[in-house]
Amino acid sequence: MIRTDVIIIGGGATGCGIARDLALRGVHHYLVEKGDFASGATGACHGLLHSGGRYVVTDPEAAKECITENSILRKIAQKCVETTGGLFVRLPGDSKRFRDSFLTRCEEVGIGTEVLSPSKALDLVPGLNPTLEEAIQVPDCSIDPFRLCMLNAYTSRRRGGGILIHHEVKEIIVEKGRCVGIKARERLTAQVKEIRAPIIINAAGAWGDRIARMSGSQVPMTLSKGSLVISNHRLTNMVINRLRPPSDGDIIVPNEAVCLAGTTSVPVEDPDVLDVDASEMDIITSQAGQLIPSFGSTRLIRAYTGVRPLLEATCKDGRSISRGFRIIDHENGMFSILGGKLTTYRLMAEKMVDVIMGQLGLNVPCKTASLPLEGQEELSGYPLSKRLKGIDDIVCECELVSRRDVEHAINSLGIQYVGDIQHRTRLGMGPCQGGFCTYRALGIMQELGRVSTEESLEILKLFLQRRFKGIKPALWGDQLREEQLIESIYLGILNMESKA
Amino acid sequence: MSAVTHDVVVIGGGMSGLMASAYLAGKGFKTALISQGDPVCCLSTGCVDVLSPGTHPLEGFDGLPPGHPYRLVGRKGIEDGCRLFKEIMATTTIPYAGTVRKNREILTPIGTFKTTCLVPLTMTGAEGCRDGYTHVISFNGLRDFYPSYITSRLKNTGFSLYDAGITSTLGIATRFEDKAFLEAFIAWIEGLEIPPGKVALPAVLGIQSPVQIMEEISRRIGSEVFEIPTLPPSIPGLRLFRALKGALTARGGDLYWGKAVGSVECRGSMVEAVTLATQGRPSRVQGRAFILATGSFVSGGLFARIDTVNETVFDLPVYVPGPRKDWFWNDFFTAGHPIEKAGIEVDGSLRPTRSDLKNLFVCGSILAHGEIMKNHCGHGLAIATGLKAARICEGFLS
Repeated sequence: MIRTDVIIIGGGATGCGIARDLALRGVHHYLVEKGDFASGATGACHGLLHSGGRYVVTDPEAAKECITENSILRKIAQKCVETTGGLFVRLPGDSKRFRDSFLTRCEEVGIGTEVLSPSKALDLVPGLNPTLEEAIQVPDCSIDPFRLCMLNAYTSRRRGGGILIHHEVKEIIVEKGRCVGIKARERLTAQVKEIRAPIIINAAGAWGDRIARMSGSQVPMTLSKGSLVISNHRLTNMVINRLRPPSDGDIIVPNEAVCLAGTTSVPVEDPDVLDVDASEMDIITSQAGQLIPSFGSTRLIRAYTGVRPLLEATCKDGRSISRGFRIIDHENGMFSILGGKLTTYRLMAEKMVDVIMGQLGLNVPCKTASLPLEGQEELSGYPLSKRLKGIDDIVCECELVSRRDVEHAINSLGIQYVGDIQHRTRLGMGPCQGGFCTYRALGIMQELGRVSTEESLEILKLFLQRRFKGIKPALWGDQLREEQLIESIYLGILNMESKA
Repeated sequence: MSAVTHDVVVIGGGMSGLMASAYLAGKGFKTALISQGDPVCCLSTGCVDVLSPGTHPLEGFDGLPPGHPYRLVGRKGIEDGCRLFKEIMATTTIPYAGTVRKNREILTPIGTFKTTCLVPLTMTGAEGCRDGYTHVISFNGLRDFYPSYITSRLKNTGFSLYDAGITSTLGIATRFEDKAFLEAFIAWIEGLEIPPGKVALPAVLGIQSPVQIMEEISRRIGSEVFEIPTLPPSIPGLRLFRALKGALTARGGDLYWGKAVGSVECRGSMVEAVTLATQGRPSRVQGRAFILATGSFVSGGLFARIDTVNETVFDLPVYVPGPRKDWFWNDFFTAGHPIEKAGIEVDGSLRPTRSDLKNLFVCGSILAHGEIMKNHCGHGLAIATGLKAARICEGFLS
């Protein structure tokens, strides 16, 4: 049995942010996550560090939080944030009145704007729809949510915090009406660990209600899925938004070598059963094509969907529900933190930990807004020069990941799945989506004694199925062509077909 | 514009096109083969799957759906195709073993066995390697082959790594053609003191003369040696392609290699010529008959758009299995996603049914309803329909 002061359930941005905040305030804690870091909504968002512009007309309060956190994260998380800047583009037919209130509200809230003529906007982003009426520049940025989680967890680990990924909470231990601990099962070994603490924080996002119910409580939330598409090229160096009330397919975010376009908003019941529908693909590609015309003819490499855990409201339209957050004291030792968005994860963690400090009778102020994230100096980022260093031993040709990078990831803590290597190196993130390098990565894992024979084929199958789920919505054009080749490798050459 | 007239113009340099053109050139027809580049068979194991993964390759024949291309060819057509293929390959340095009467087993690079029909001689040794000791030899840093997949799965195995000074399959295969490299390699194996049994290597034993190299190693170390196919680029696939291409030129066929068809000229219901998109001046290739063997999606014979599928040379009507959302199953591992049915529907003489062209014949994986993954007929379907198209052309031209 493990004893600690605070148990955090959920390894998304919120959970990891809380772990860092607790660590910096000297509170011992354990974080338990059922998958890898950022495997819920955090990793399935568009990686946009909002300026607040998107919410400024519909929810000025949220917009204000965004712009404050935006400037904090740009300082403390330099290696996770690319200061791309963003444009809100008004196309012919888009409401001029919306544009006017957008500018007024931005000024009220403190979001810096600059109105650009079409030719100035086209100078900045040559791929834009040339018929645009105007564009408004805002300080939107792109952010790497996975790296952000890793760095927050890094601080926690360095200061004695316990981090357990691939551990699913199976039970909340309740004694005399109070939550006193959890039982968590490791995915691969099925080994169960018991952890005890006087305080449990439920930061499980879309799975939050499920966790709360294990202790006899509930959290009211609405689940809304948002789907995104990844293009094979970086079609813009700036975040591109449509200047109109939030709706489907109105954002394109550059990220490393690709672009993400989305999103949709569809109510869902079960966060574990998610698919991107063909109709969502049609909407996103046609809408993104209005902002950047070449999007329509660009190869799409994958689509994915995440669940936004939104505060319950009577209105069922996912977009009009506030993206604000709430902390619930279940008065049994468990606290739930729900809602919110990636941009405000730090603020959410701060507020949550303030409550915990009150509970523990401690008085240590929050430091997360001023201290830069530790461990950033080790990050190489994407620069080609660094990737080309291992060119003689490349395992993933699409993303130039060398054998050395893969071995380093395998040897770092907690790596059990190909997906974990992927998150940490970008292996398999390119056009073939791991079609070739997965076999290699698993071969290396076997050579290093990290997986057994039985596990290796099982892991390969899991990965291929997950990969297929991601690319299936985008299967036409060259991506379909590539898919047929990959199919002939795994089902043909390697004969991995399921025996019906 | 230069213009050359042929009896037959075959478009597509894959298995099907190569078989069809080799047959016709062998019969004395003036034959041209146009290909955009090296075909997808270079990515294959080099083995010929005919049908059914059971003991008998043709046992699933009666269960094939009515529209399947094999129905147009018949059992005899499949047998004839395989016989001709083996005859052609026997004249090259890449002879094949096997018959359509019985399937064989090869070892895969993940240590499982795969059933197939016609097998390059260098892979036949995998049969029976379950019974005795097998020693796997691989190469330092080789990216596309990991002996641990095999040794951890198969009992009674071990492995050693040789430093070939190069880490790609193609690089190592090229070195094996060098006598000094081979000698050093054999000397190294002799020093290993491998237990008695078989020796397995990834398929890199040379490009031109793998059988010779395999037999030399085997004779010197006193153990049976065999090859295991690797991930693409696959050397056995490359050997197969080069051997067939050589067989075609030996029979006097003309090659237009690395050239795409830019445009097509038809008069009434006859195709008269195709124009190649060559740099500088375009060349026009005239023919009395045309064979379309451009393959399916991977090779570019078909191209899927967001809402439909196009045939890329003649813009023939394509059979498409429903709207895009129905093209794939959710489960990756269910072979035979519906999109596999896409292709050109043909009549009994392999003419496209929804077109009035009289001198155009279609063969290979571009044919609709082939479902090659599902029916395990990769290469087999290409060979059988390629021969059938060639024979129909022969009749048409005489």
